[in-house]
Amino acid sequence: MKMKLNSNKGKKIFFFFLLIVISIIFIWSLPRLSIPLMIAYVLYLIVEPTIPQLLKLGVERNLAVIIIFLSLAIISIIPVVALVPTVKMEVENVGIYLPKVETYIKTKYEEIQLVVLQKAGVELNNEYFKNAIIYISDNLQKIIINIPKLLASLLEWLLVIPFLLFFFLRDGFSFKRIILKLVPNEIFERTYYLSNELNKKIGDYIFAKFIEASIVGTIIFVGLLLMGVRFAFLLGIVAAFTNIIPYLGPFLGLLPAIILGLVEHGIQSPEFSGILILYLAANVIDLGFVFPILVSKMVNLHPIIVVISVIVGSHYLGVAGMIISIPLAAAFKLVVAQIYFEIFGRG
Amino acid sequence: MGGFKHENEEVNLPERLNIGVIKYFWQSSPYNPSKKNTIPHFLRNIVVFKDFSDYELYILSKFIHERTYENGEIIFKQGDLGIGFYLIYYGNVEIIVEKENPLSTSSADSMEYSLVTCLENKDYFGELALLQENSIRSATAVAKNACKLIGIFKPDLDELIRVHPVVATKLLQSVSMIIAERLYSITKEVKILKYKLSKMEQLNENEVK
Repeated sequence: MKMKLNSNKGKKIFFFFLLIVISIIFIWSLPRLSIPLMIAYVLYLIVEPTIPQLLKLGVERNLAVIIIFLSLAIISIIPVVALVPTVKMEVENVGIYLPKVETYIKTKYEEIQLVVLQKAGVELNNEYFKNAIIYISDNLQKIIINIPKLLASLLEWLLVIPFLLFFFLRDGFSFKRIILKLVPNEIFERTYYLSNELNKKIGDYIFAKFIEASIVGTIIFVGLLLMGVRFAFLLGIVAAFTNIIPYLGPFLGLLPAIILGLVEHGIQSPEFSGILILYLAANVIDLGFVFPILVSKMVNLHPIIVVISVIVGSHYLGVAGMIISIPLAAAFKLVVAQIYFEIFGRG
Repeated sequence: MGGFKHENEEVNLPERLNIGVIKYFWQSSPYNPSKKNTIPHFLRNIVVFKDFSDYELYILSKFIHERTYENGEIIFKQGDLGIGFYLIYYGNVEIIVEKENPLSTSSADSMEYSLVTCLENKDYFGELALLQENSIRSATAVAKNACKLIGIFKPDLDELIRVHPVVATKLLQSVSMIIAERLYSITKEVKILKYKLSKMEQLNENEVK
């Protein structure tokens, strides 16, 4: 028996992809919309795994979302209220503290210059150093000038993100269904499979990283607090955030702590070695215990690919690019593999 | 049967209440939501879901996808990655197998299609995709006329397991039953074929002698 299969559905598929491309361009071109959307989505991925637990207890979805939302609000408000004075004090102190760091670096540099001149007979050029100092202070000023603007958008986010998060949690399930209704029959199964895999990969990655970062941040914060080092909370937050960046992150997180230790206590003080040991211990715990437990949830990428994607990400989007490069690389790998199978078949 | 007192006068009801007529008037009311055409009602009439309670069918109906197909539209293709189990709500679906024809020269003509079966209302197909990891479709399904299918896909099953484990277990039980039955009939067929083969071998040996 012979028959011709009807597969002239090009128009529907074209329309569907056009819709996707237009909505991506639209959202991308409006950072005021895309940034809160992205943050709300990340928060959604972190919080969403708790919903089935409540549903299993027989709680209705709406009520479950309200319970989660309220507990999230309380959990996030308590530390904010409790820590705002500390953070404010620490940030203010950093402002006073920076000139101290600057003079410290200057004197150190002069010392090194002298040593080099004595030992090697070469005078180091002052130009580079001066340029570097000017560059750093310029950028700091820019940040300080931009703070009111940042605060204004932060206020907007504070209203928009919870709003978005609430509806993501409540209606995420039906949103997905409505979008899937638009998918043409021809590519429905593949689209559903791929989007589900992508979501799962990104969700697992973000969830695992969130837990890893908070564990590392807590260890650093508590350790520094016990040692009586200044800016314990700020350094803990910095360590948590930089931990998200693979391989490079721990070193970036260590940098401010080393500078602080050098300036405040000096290279031979017990505090300095204490800080080094603490960061080492935190990363050993991270790599030895936290990572292996979470590693099954992480994306399956070769270290070389990870490093390459981090470099590419940092090139185009800076620190944010470093953070999102890994899930994007995993997603890219998945899509490419799918297209490869489509063309060459499954061997 | 007697009547009953309404205020002061006695109302005589007929000897036997015609339930059918009352039911007809009750159900013909425009305010009465007809449940005949809903998905749970459809699922209720499918044999493999007979162990589901009404509430479980209602939950299941929230996790399924309704898809409509035009005449001749491909539902899935042989060799594609499959993730869906389909039930036919209405319409007819043909299951065909592609066979490569070694005699034909041109690449477009080298594929030959042979019809395996034609499915109709309340039939189901593609159940293996729900259980297999990276399942590959072993046949092509084509809509023979305008039809509406109900699909349950692997991600839906995963979500169902996460949120409603009991319903998920029952669904898996139903799918396993379908597959077990199929395996049983295949085993039977293999037995018959083996028997025929041994008979033929015996005949062959006798001829040689």
